[in-house]
Amino acid sequence: MENFSEVLALFLSVDNFLAIAAGVLVGVVVGAIPGLTATMAVALALPFTFSMEPVTAILLLVGIYKGGMYGGSITAILIRTPGSPAAACTLLDGYPLAQQGKAKKALKTALYSSCVADMISNIALIFFAAYLAKIALNFGPPEYFWLICFSLTIIVSVSGDSVIKGLIAAGLGIIVSTVGLDAVYGTQRLTFDSYNLMDRVSFIPLLIGLFAIPEVIEFYTSKVLPHIRTAVSGASLTWKEFKGCLKSVVRGSIIGVIIGAIPGTGATSAAFISYSEAKRNSPRKANFGKGEIEGVAAAEAGNNGVAGATLIPLLSLGIPGDVITAIILGAFMIHGLTPGPVLFQENLTLVYALFCGILVSSVVLLVVGNAAIRYFSLIADIPKSILLPIVLMFCVYGAYAVNNNTFDIGLMLIFGVLGFIFNRTGVAAAPFLIGFILGPMFEDNLRRTLLISKGDPSIFFRGPIAWVFITLTVASLLFAIRRYWLSRQEASAA
Amino acid sequence: MRQLIRNAAKTAALGVAAVLTLSSPQVLAEGWPEDNIRLVVPYSAGGTTDLLSRKVADLLQKELDTVIVENRPGAGSTVATAQLARGGRGSDHTLVMASPGHTIGAAIYPNLRYNPIEDFRFIRNVINIPNVMVVPGNSPYNTVAEFVEAAKQEELSFSSPGIGSSIHMSGELFKNLTGAKMVHVPFRGSGEALPALLSGDVDVAFENMPTVYPHIQSGKLKALAVTTATPSEFLPGVPTIQEAGAEYGLGDYETSAWFGLIAHKSFPEEGVTKLQEALDKIMAGEDFNNFLPQFGAEAGKVVGDDFRNFVAEELTKWAEVAEKANLKR
Repeated sequence: MENFSEVLALFLSVDNFLAIAAGVLVGVVVGAIPGLTATMAVALALPFTFSMEPVTAILLLVGIYKGGMYGGSITAILIRTPGSPAAACTLLDGYPLAQQGKAKKALKTALYSSCVADMISNIALIFFAAYLAKIALNFGPPEYFWLICFSLTIIVSVSGDSVIKGLIAAGLGIIVSTVGLDAVYGTQRLTFDSYNLMDRVSFIPLLIGLFAIPEVIEFYTSKVLPHIRTAVSGASLTWKEFKGCLKSVVRGSIIGVIIGAIPGTGATSAAFISYSEAKRNSPRKANFGKGEIEGVAAAEAGNNGVAGATLIPLLSLGIPGDVITAIILGAFMIHGLTPGPVLFQENLTLVYALFCGILVSSVVLLVVGNAAIRYFSLIADIPKSILLPIVLMFCVYGAYAVNNNTFDIGLMLIFGVLGFIFNRTGVAAAPFLIGFILGPMFEDNLRRTLLISKGDPSIFFRGPIAWVFITLTVASLLFAIRRYWLSRQEASAA
Repeated sequence: MRQLIRNAAKTAALGVAAVLTLSSPQVLAEGWPEDNIRLVVPYSAGGTTDLLSRKVADLLQKELDTVIVENRPGAGSTVATAQLARGGRGSDHTLVMASPGHTIGAAIYPNLRYNPIEDFRFIRNVINIPNVMVVPGNSPYNTVAEFVEAAKQEELSFSSPGIGSSIHMSGELFKNLTGAKMVHVPFRGSGEALPALLSGDVDVAFENMPTVYPHIQSGKLKALAVTTATPSEFLPGVPTIQEAGAEYGLGDYETSAWFGLIAHKSFPEEGVTKLQEALDKIMAGEDFNNFLPQFGAEAGKVVGDDFRNFVAEELTKWAEVAEKANLKR
């Protein structure tokens, strides 16, 4: 490539490195604070980038995005409060590990998996962008529909001990997700004429309520103080342990890349699909949900695998896959650049300089993440009687901060009580969350598909992508039924 | 490496300090503003309204006092607007960036607790973004006329990033005026709507200019017409819907995504004047005019009472469209 020196000249500036470092640092910290999302941080950072060079500006925003994606896992592991929605899956095994005094191990697993996934995602962005973008364009409503069907089958694997209870929780999640205005006709559903419910139940308050609040209630209702030593001195992650997870990390990264390349699906789904696949293929299936590092690794690989790949539809098609990439698209436009095929023709040097920066950002994430673990894991040493009131304060603040709305605080507390009831009755909260996230996507795409085909159902079977996901869905269901049957047989034999 | 991070943190802190110094008031005249100005964005951080508001705030605080941008999303912008209408403490320094949501929201949400015209002071229309009627690149329709003729024979679909958006309502208005058979396929955000259009799953959309502009250039989408009354300088040779569809009843068709500052009805007169002066100055400036083309946008035209009248007309138009499309809830 003859322009390589130009690329390096554009990329190798102190500003770019500072932007990446500052971005990742801000991202990790903001991502770790519940209610402060990477989306907010990127939006707030945007005006600061107006006066920067285009490459520097975009690297700063991408840095925040990547940092935020990882940062969310820190509080998920330490205090069962996912700092970002995508980290909800990480806490399934991360928090039990912290309770067993293995916080450091869990945090390191999350970090290394995130960085590996990030790297794989970057490489996919650089080498397969054109190909993956083509798939993304062929992903219409019927294909989404089948992807969501497949994703729904993972409810079975995150249901904990009882599939029936898991399905009940998922059903409840779907019911809660229907609150708001109907997407096609605009009729009000379960809003009780409240303005606060018209835009559906807010996600972040639900998330914080469901996972963090029950811990607080448990603490104050239990007579015996749970004395948990999650010391910083706790054993770190060994190479052997990480090697054992590597397969799941790579699998999760690939799942993340595919999900990330398709606009509008999201990191949370990727994390859960990756987790469920890891569990299905693991020899230590039974340990998942009880503190299995492979679970942490898979979840984090899934959500970080999305980070680089969401830039695929953005850069190659000019289509933002989520809110953050929509803001990054804005940053491009402010600097007079229009992402899409034209960008590759007219500003190839800039695109490659960006790629260099994005690769560097994964390495920076490793360094910043390691530093963050050192300080954040101190949280685990704070006595719970001091920590939990602070957690509660952050929960209240986080629920409020998303929409600057006090109604959301009440909402969070209601879901907190629901989460507590779930805990006490042995119902897993994860299926509820999946139902809540995927329910509306299922409905929207089903209805969109039928609107487009004017009611003709044959559109559901229109092409190879649809068939791939139909096959996966059926296989996943058959597999789940077989496993259920086998476990029943074992139980009756015992 | 730790040193590097430390340096980065130091530089970042210095940077923030520098930005704050730079952005502190340069003109501190007597009287209004006596406090920081609050600019409320009635949508989430990151959308077009947010992006434009932050730019305007950035420019405004160079002229007046510090401007703090605050996002208060909810119920298609009506949550923030209702709060502004209530007034109270601080309302003499609070502005809302109003957009089509102000009138469409009023047209489709029930029991609105404010009057979208009477309860506000209309300061100035700042930016307008045209919508473009686009079809997939391989679509058989090359003109508005061809499209309408086809849509009279069989039902065609139009996409939007959500119910009640200016993009959706532009389509409903088109459908009303022409009597064409069109079914609305709502998505969640343009990011989801665009692929369906590019791949030809839906037949047409009335998308915001900046969203579709690159795809028109690359030939993946065809621009049939712009929704504004005058052609856009960004799409030379593309007619307006008014011109291209006059014979199908589209002679009065006009929509755009407009953005403008509104305040509580009791907003001090001095504040209105100062804001209008500041905006005039900003809008004549190089910075603002370099910013506009990135969004395929034009500078807003109407000020004060003219802006108010414009919004009132919009309201009537959308109320009628919402009624016919059965959207009044």
